Amino acid sequence: MSAYLITIATLIAIYAIVVCGLNVIVGFAGQISLGHAAFFGIGAYSAALLATKGGLSFWTALPCVIAVSAFIGLLLGLPSLRVKADFLAITTIGINFIVEALFLYVPFFGGALGIGGIPRVMFFGIKLKGLAFFYLCLFFLVVVILICWWFRRSWAGLACFALREEESAAASMGISPVRFKLLAFVIGTGMAGLGGALYAHYIRFIAATDFAFPVSILFLSMVVLGGMGTLWGPVLGALILGALPEIFRPLVDYRFLFYMVLLLIMIRFQPGGLLGERSAVRRVLASIIPGAHQ
Amino acid sequence: MSQALLDIQELSKYFGGLKALDQVGFNVMGGEILGLIGPNGAGKTVCFNLISGVYRPTAGKIYFNGQRMDGTSPHQVAHKGVGRTFQIVKPFGTLSVVENVLVAKGITKYNRFSRIWSTWKSKAEINEALEMLERVGLKDLADRQAGLLPLGNLRRLEIARALLVGHKLLLLDESFSGLRHEEIVQLEELIRSIRETGITVLLIEHNMRVAMGLCDRLVVLDHGSKIAEGRPQEIQQNEKVIEAYLGRKEASDAA
Ligand SMILES: Nc1ncnc2c1ncn2[C@@H]1O[C@H](COP(=O)(O)OP(=O)(O)OP(=O)(O)O)[C@@H](O)[C@H]1O
Ligand SMILES: [Mg+2]
Repeated sequence: MSAYLITIATLIAIYAIVVCGLNVIVGFAGQISLGHAAFFGIGAYSAALLATKGGLSFWTALPCVIAVSAFIGLLLGLPSLRVKADFLAITTIGINFIVEALFLYVPFFGGALGIGGIPRVMFFGIKLKGLAFFYLCLFFLVVVILICWWFRRSWAGLACFALREEESAAASMGISPVRFKLLAFVIGTGMAGLGGALYAHYIRFIAATDFAFPVSILFLSMVVLGGMGTLWGPVLGALILGALPEIFRPLVDYRFLFYMVLLLIMIRFQPGGLLGERSAVRRVLASIIPGAHQ
Repeated sequence: MSQALLDIQELSKYFGGLKALDQVGFNVMGGEILGLIGPNGAGKTVCFNLISGVYRPTAGKIYFNGQRMDGTSPHQVAHKGVGRTFQIVKPFGTLSVVENVLVAKGITKYNRFSRIWSTWKSKAEINEALEMLERVGLKDLADRQAGLLPLGNLRRLEIARALLVGHKLLLLDESFSGLRHEEIVQLEELIRSIRETGITVLLIEHNMRVAMGLCDRLVVLDHGSKIAEGRPQEIQQNEKVIEAYLGRKEASDAA
């Protein structure tokens, strides 16, 4: 495989991990999130800081990185998930902008210069780069998919599906809406954190704009395109939207517009996504994007 | 007489200036079938929503098994053994019928963090869910997508789900409406059999024949107030009740 292909494949694998996390929140629990890139960023920045300032290895830092992302997900999710769907969209956008601004303006996070000099991942004394790092990402992607697979089979997953479909009925069956939405949020943001850590150690130089709002739209487009609530949808979505700009180079400048249009088209004509017929979150999305009803 | 299972005291719920429920009090005794009746907009569903924790009362108290229950959130009310159906059916639309029932079966898991990680896709769980579907006559439709079922089947699905939650008290909000005659007879049969197992039933019903035939006692609401309470024969002859129902009718006939 050429170095170029490996780079793209690695980024796609990382995106797939992050997008699987978003799928837990949006697809499984039906909670719209337009700020997922913030948690991807929190993972990347905490991994970068622990590696450069903390001097920790990727492996020792990783549990902390995931925990930090999930914990901040918990803190931010607690007030956010109590609001109605349309407000949740706004709240999560807000979270994205605030987190990006913090990265950009707080000197501790490197300011506009970002954080550079992030070391490569070591594995038994070997520096992981190229194909080896791709396999590492693939390994984590498999782990994440297995977690999603299990989640869908678990009572926790079933509770989330029920909440997504009909919250008041779910509550009348003993399901605490706040508790289970938070659970989905924590799992989803934890996965975003994992993806962020891999991203930081792969790119090795991160800046606030890598985690800006358009990136959240990209992630959401991947979930919607692949199929919300399905197991493989996020992977397919990441694959297609990760590869597309590389195939159609001229598209790169219009990426953001393209993703927005794609989102609208998908919601209008194929709300279940490429891989699924479930369309429960359509209501949620339709409520935030006027004209997407029915 | 045994202690009341559900003791409602001077319960009020106002929506702005509208007194949807105004100082209503009644008891539901353990093991009885109590009917809550009254004209449209009387406050029956609001009363259910207060009991099941959907709304917080403006004033008044609700005791369940001797413990205060008003202000308890819906999922906690469910964990106390109170199951309910919704007047406007609320199926988990994209899930299958049997999965809908499984969601309710999960009531024994949702409160324990260690239990929610096991799988619901086990033979034992699914078989038990199918047994419940058989009881309400939906077994043949187990794999159908719930959102696509006709109303009659959805009402039965609601009852199946509520039965798995309400092992002490069952709240049925117009479960008979929209059913055909044979279905009504079957459902009456089912509700009687539910009572035989020791579950107390509080039901809202518009069909007078059904309410009179099925209930041990009736509580009548009108404009948010309780206007009568008693055995079906007493209620049938109650002046206020006749007026509330007939008055309405004459008014609407005149209109
Ligand atoms: N959430 C709410 N906000 C404002 N008003 C409400 C709300 N819920 C109910 N009401 C009003 O309270 C009154 C009682 O409504 P409720 O639904 O309890 O009637 P009901 O007795 O169940 O009637 P029906 O037989 O038609 O179902 C009605 O006037 C209704 O419009
Ligand atoms: Mg009603």
